[in-house]
Amino acid sequence: MSRQIDRRAFLRRGAAGAAAMAVGPGLLAACSTDEPASDRKTGPGSSPRSGGTLRAAFVGGGASETLDFFNGPSALDLVRARAWHGTLGNLDPSGPDGVRYGVLKGIDIADDLSAYTLHVRPGVRFTDGSELTAADVLHSLSALAANSKLPVYRLAAANFDLAHARADGDLKVVLPTLRPIADGRMILCQGNFLVVKDGTKNFRKGMPSCGPFRLTEFTAGQGAAFERYDDHYGHVPRLDGLELRSIADSTARAGALTGGEIDFAHDLSPVTARTLGDKGNVELVPTESPYLVGLSFQMNMKAKPFDDPRVREAFKLAVDRQAMVDTVFYGNAEVGNDLPSIGFPDYAEGLPQRAHDPERARALLKEAGAEGMKVALTTGPETPGMVEMATLFVEDLKKVGVRTSVRELPAGQLYADFPAYAALPLAGSYQMPIPALSTYQMSTAGGSPSAFGWKESATDTLVAKARAESDQAEARKLGTQAQRTRWEEGNQVLPVFKPNLNAQAKGVRGIRDDLFEQFPGFSQASLA
Amino acid sequence: MSLIAFVGRRLMGAAVLLVVLSAAIFAATAVLPGDAVSAVAGMDASDAQRAEVRAELGLDRPVAERYADWVAGAVRGDLGRGFVGERPVTDVLATRLPNSLLLAGLTLAVTAPLAALLGLWTGLRGGGADRFVSTAAQVLAAVPEFVIAALLVAVLAVWLELLPRVSVIPLGGTPLDVPHALILPVLTLSAVGLAVATRLLRVSAADVAATPYIEAARLNGVRGVRLAVRHILPNAAGPAVQALTLTTGALVGSAVVVENVFDYPGIGRELQLAVAARDIPMVQGIATALAGVMLLVLLTGDICARLLDARKGHQR
Repeated sequence: MSRQIDRRAFLRRGAAGAAAMAVGPGLLAACSTDEPASDRKTGPGSSPRSGGTLRAAFVGGGASETLDFFNGPSALDLVRARAWHGTLGNLDPSGPDGVRYGVLKGIDIADDLSAYTLHVRPGVRFTDGSELTAADVLHSLSALAANSKLPVYRLAAANFDLAHARADGDLKVVLPTLRPIADGRMILCQGNFLVVKDGTKNFRKGMPSCGPFRLTEFTAGQGAAFERYDDHYGHVPRLDGLELRSIADSTARAGALTGGEIDFAHDLSPVTARTLGDKGNVELVPTESPYLVGLSFQMNMKAKPFDDPRVREAFKLAVDRQAMVDTVFYGNAEVGNDLPSIGFPDYAEGLPQRAHDPERARALLKEAGAEGMKVALTTGPETPGMVEMATLFVEDLKKVGVRTSVRELPAGQLYADFPAYAALPLAGSYQMPIPALSTYQMSTAGGSPSAFGWKESATDTLVAKARAESDQAEARKLGTQAQRTRWEEGNQVLPVFKPNLNAQAKGVRGIRDDLFEQFPGFSQASLA
Repeated sequence: MSLIAFVGRRLMGAAVLLVVLSAAIFAATAVLPGDAVSAVAGMDASDAQRAEVRAELGLDRPVAERYADWVAGAVRGDLGRGFVGERPVTDVLATRLPNSLLLAGLTLAVTAPLAALLGLWTGLRGGGADRFVSTAAQVLAAVPEFVIAALLVAVLAVWLELLPRVSVIPLGGTPLDVPHALILPVLTLSAVGLAVATRLLRVSAADVAATPYIEAARLNGVRGVRLAVRHILPNAAGPAVQALTLTTGALVGSAVVVENVFDYPGIGRELQLAVAARDIPMVQGIATALAGVMLLVLLTGDICARLLDARKGHQR
């Protein structure tokens, strides 16, 4: 006979269970030990400490985080990979070729710009003791980067014939170009080309690597732990270990930093960063040029009245750039000049800064018959400050007689339906810091969908010529000429370049020395 | 109907409902504007690159065919891999769902006894105490979770420095490795649940207290705690149990605000990220699993309510 549960027995057991569950967490908490207290001394006079484990927090990508950085879309995937693998090189304006090489000794360019020869630095060793050779570089470029869907690697695939790259002995890789380019070093040495061992297919803990640290632990969406690799080429890291945590919320990252749970917080929102200003134990360390993100608005030239250059110019003149820098970013940003890639060698520095001239804007709109025009500005919180910028832009436009409003989409929605996005008349956007001319060729030239109707073959040709010019002065002249056309007639309002607003515990040093600041490296970092 | 037959029937019904829900979820992901191509290929990919990625992800196939493949895999325990990062969906569920269940369970453990205590007290006593607790519960139910979280952080973490502001879980560990990091998330979630459950129990307790059965008990000399716990609570708890199970089940997947504020590694945030990236296998797997959890929790609530029901549960 089966035993029925008696109502009274159920109530008794239920009450006991509930009491146990209620008391349980309290008892557990009472029995737990606190996090070890931080005993680090900070201060401007203290010297960099050798040793210790630095803990840094990033937005992360949740369960989609992966060790395969060729297919990992989150910033943390690349930061983790930079700590783990050796890089071809980083952009460095003070370097002889404008770059600082990593596992390479140098890059030679053929006189006819048809091929680049990558010279591998001798003596670089993987963690399994084997020496890094041209085969490893070749595999990383032609097998892994060439098949990556990520935009950073597409830039290389758009310029180099990665499928026909070949090794020439143990220490040379020959990389044919798809068209003559003279600025290929800037593409290959942006910090994101990392080298793994020949034949690597699966990325896992324990695989051979030649970066400054070796991976000891990884949990997607939670974080990764590293220990120092003592045979790292160039220099041995000062830190004993590194912990990279995934903390999605900006306020939570700031809270963890001020609470001593981490030493470095990446990419805080402007408001959160401002609240840290008066905290004595932390300091703001925003990224510096060229590692600045351009925040922009795209006018669709396929939609009236943006096919009229006077309307486009009016929109550019209407925006109060300094007010955006001051109001949205509390001064922690730079005024833009409607062109992306500020700080890169090919950025057109010589063009005059566009003024804020609402009177002229109003006159231009009247001249174009677009006075009182109506348009919605669609944007979303894809990066901190985007929506706030749109709100200010709309107010500026209202002042010159445009009837407009902000249409804010939820986070992650703006680019989700890309054909719909590319058809918007006026849309918010942002540009990652990559060289000006190569990014133009990849994402704007030839009437690309992300060009919002811009299709100027003369400018495309000029950009191609500038990139194919070995004489730097001539290349600069051509590049500036192409960018002047974009500046005068283009369909992009780019009022602000914002840094990644990073913050760190006082006394942490050396992160900036690793270059490629938007994806920080820690090989030269130290604790106080 | 015996309890076993009741549970068996409900389980069969839940299984059928789960299949229907999984189809509805798949249909919902199909009609969402956009797809995962932008998340995978970047926003400035060309039309040709987009088409290539779409084909690689299998998004160029008919929806019904994709759903049939998914069901065939799900029956074998394979929920597929995420489009972004290519992680197996079952891995994500295995690491994140237990954390969310723990959070919901602890919240229930805090909420249920406190709600019973406050509901009985106010329902039976009335007067000033009742008005005070009822008003406080109303206010608490109306305050958004993130405000409660911010207040708790300000007081317990910043001012008194008793607790960590963020639930930093040791790598490879679970939230139980750092129990003190669970306190703020649990307190935040408990606040709203407590307010709702207290008000429900208060009304039920007042109603039961006015019945002839309780009047008879009083005339027989039963008073105080004995009257409340042995005679009123069991009869008043039915509706509150249903409400509590409903809110607790919902907590498993929808504690996104709390997960974000405290960086708690739950399943809700994974679902949010997957929806934003249009990562269909991840959305499908997580949403179906959450539907399954909800159905199980509701079944548990129904069983509890049945056992509490004097007419059906008290079988001898």
